[in-house]
Amino acid sequence: MVVLRAGLCPGLTEDMIQLLRANGIRTVVDFVSSDLEDVAQKCSLSYKALVAVRRVLLAQFSAFPANGADLYEELKSSTAILPTGSPSLDQLLDSGLYTGEVTELMGAPGSGKTQVCLGIAASVSLGLKQHVLFLDSTGGFTASRLYQMLRAQTEDEEEQARQVLGRLGLCFVLQLEALQRIQVVRAFSIYELLRALQELRDRLSQQVVSSMGPLKMVVLDSVSAVIYPLLGGRQSEGLALMMQLSRELKTLAREFSLAVVVTNQVTRDSSTGPLKPALGRSWSFVPSTRVLLESREGTWEKATTQRAASLAKSPRQPTGIQVELDIG
Amino acid sequence: MQREVGTLPLAPALRARLAAAGFQTAQELLDTGPCGLSKEIGISREEALEALQVVRRECHGNAARTAGGSGATRKCTALELLEEEQTQGFIITFCSALDNILGGGVQLTKITEICGAPGVGKTQLCMQLAVDVQIPECFGGVAGEAVFIDTEGSFMVDRVVDIAAACVQHCHLIAEAQQEEDHRKALETFSLENILSHIYYFRCRDYTELLAQVYLLPEFLSEHSKVRLVVIDGIAFPFRHDFEDLSLRTRLLNGLAQQLIIIANDHKSAVVLTNQMTTRIGQSQSTLVPALGESWGHAATVRLIFHWDNSQRLATLYKSPSQKESTIAYHITCHGFRDVQPPAVTHSTEGTELNPRKRPRTEEERQ
Repeated sequence: MVVLRAGLCPGLTEDMIQLLRANGIRTVVDFVSSDLEDVAQKCSLSYKALVAVRRVLLAQFSAFPANGADLYEELKSSTAILPTGSPSLDQLLDSGLYTGEVTELMGAPGSGKTQVCLGIAASVSLGLKQHVLFLDSTGGFTASRLYQMLRAQTEDEEEQARQVLGRLGLCFVLQLEALQRIQVVRAFSIYELLRALQELRDRLSQQVVSSMGPLKMVVLDSVSAVIYPLLGGRQSEGLALMMQLSRELKTLAREFSLAVVVTNQVTRDSSTGPLKPALGRSWSFVPSTRVLLESREGTWEKATTQRAASLAKSPRQPTGIQVELDIG
Repeated sequence: MQREVGTLPLAPALRARLAAAGFQTAQELLDTGPCGLSKEIGISREEALEALQVVRRECHGNAARTAGGSGATRKCTALELLEEEQTQGFIITFCSALDNILGGGVQLTKITEICGAPGVGKTQLCMQLAVDVQIPECFGGVAGEAVFIDTEGSFMVDRVVDIAAACVQHCHLIAEAQQEEDHRKALETFSLENILSHIYYFRCRDYTELLAQVYLLPEFLSEHSKVRLVVIDGIAFPFRHDFEDLSLRTRLLNGLAQQLIIIANDHKSAVVLTNQMTTRIGQSQSTLVPALGESWGHAATVRLIFHWDNSQRLATLYKSPSQKESTIAYHITCHGFRDVQPPAVTHSTEGTELNPRKRPRTEEERQ
């Protein structure tokens, strides 16, 4: 819905725009979909000029169809699969997180969503040496826990390092480097979040070689914390903002080949109903993969680090597969 | 700056008009200018000017503000956060078992929620924390002030006097034992009157007052920059009775949670909330769960559940980003919140037979 403005294309002058506007043609869509002979008569403009302008506008603003085979080749070369660091979770996700897609983790409070996100960030940063952007909207990001996970993951490497290089400080350096590759942004409201995503997009599209480095993953914990205060009631702007956010996330994933991981809450219809993902039906179309995390025991009286992850939605695997996870 | 018009924080009516007029990106708005904008959409010049100021602040403000300040996006690497966390203090509770399972005490910059049945000690812990936050740094405290927002009217000043007196005496004992200069200097300012004068008390009678108070809190905190603890005693009370529209309640609670997180983060203070318990009726048995619903469970970063086991009070760490779930026993004495003293022989054997994690009601049902 771009407004017609002088200079948008060579044939379009200010007088032309005024005449068109007087006849109710304000945007590119209006212009391109109108009958040009009619317009030429009403606005007393030359038919040839109008046709030339239309051709340029169509070339500038329409989408190009792509060949399926070309699309497949492009996807093969640009998609990467990032292992999550937990073999059972990888098995659930068909060998890992796919770039170019949005994956969602949902669960009740205390079910381990933030822990799994930290584990994935640690694994990608340490194992693959890629940069990770962690968008924290709940204040649950604890760097000391992340450091603990990194130490646990470098325990095996420590043995090898000692044998091969005889240097004990190597694993410490590895951990520090891994920590530096994870950038944390705290965005506690929807506008801050959108602003942070916009900044990321600008930075990536300008290809500024900064400390950011090759970004491969964006983790958003959690999306429902920023959207929930806006939904419901009589105003519909909450839904609009939610869809804007989903568009930003999906374009980021697709254009820059990132894996986007999002966490979500679960709610109940009534106090006895089954658990269902929050944010409703509109949001359920946004992630391509959905994983539900549950703790083994139903109540808070038994403490355990075992969690059950089940696949609720996936484009590749059959739904309903369940695996065991240990978030300890 | 290709920021979409839909993502800018403008009024919804204005956004709808901009979309209908065909504006897509923020750059187009800035190019048009206030006069052109007011003509195209049909709003007054002042409104157009205001809207453009908001847009300009959103798009260009970041470049100027990346040096710091709370308005800019809060960006840092995990390494910097780790260094920050390691130098951050904790607010101790005087019960070493509870401090241990919390990882050192109540953490700053996080929201801690305490749920429990009536009479189990939630308000006692809040009052203890309001005194403990003021302990000087040389004794291991954070030397801050406290804000106490009371919705239930359960704040008893004479009880706080008892707790504060015991705390001051404890610090005197430490100073005498260690005989250091800064201890003695700190003790000059750490007196009963000082402690009481640094607890800022607010009384909110219904949810509107509570929301208004939390909305005005950032201003108050910027004037009193030494505040390190915000306690809201009874966040469930104003929202539980007399609320017909449940979806409005969820919206308000979630908005409140986000505001509290922003306060905790920007002012480096701990936020402590107390919640009530409600019964969830399942297929075969009923359980006590924290009130205010499923979505509220996500608001707090750390969740503590206080419950009874016969006559012993227990605290369970249910949700934490860095500590394992565990249960400990605690005691409330005339001096405040304390550890359980090593029990007599008969009492301990009794305690180990009945598994302290199981609530008596469940056991009765099972029997």
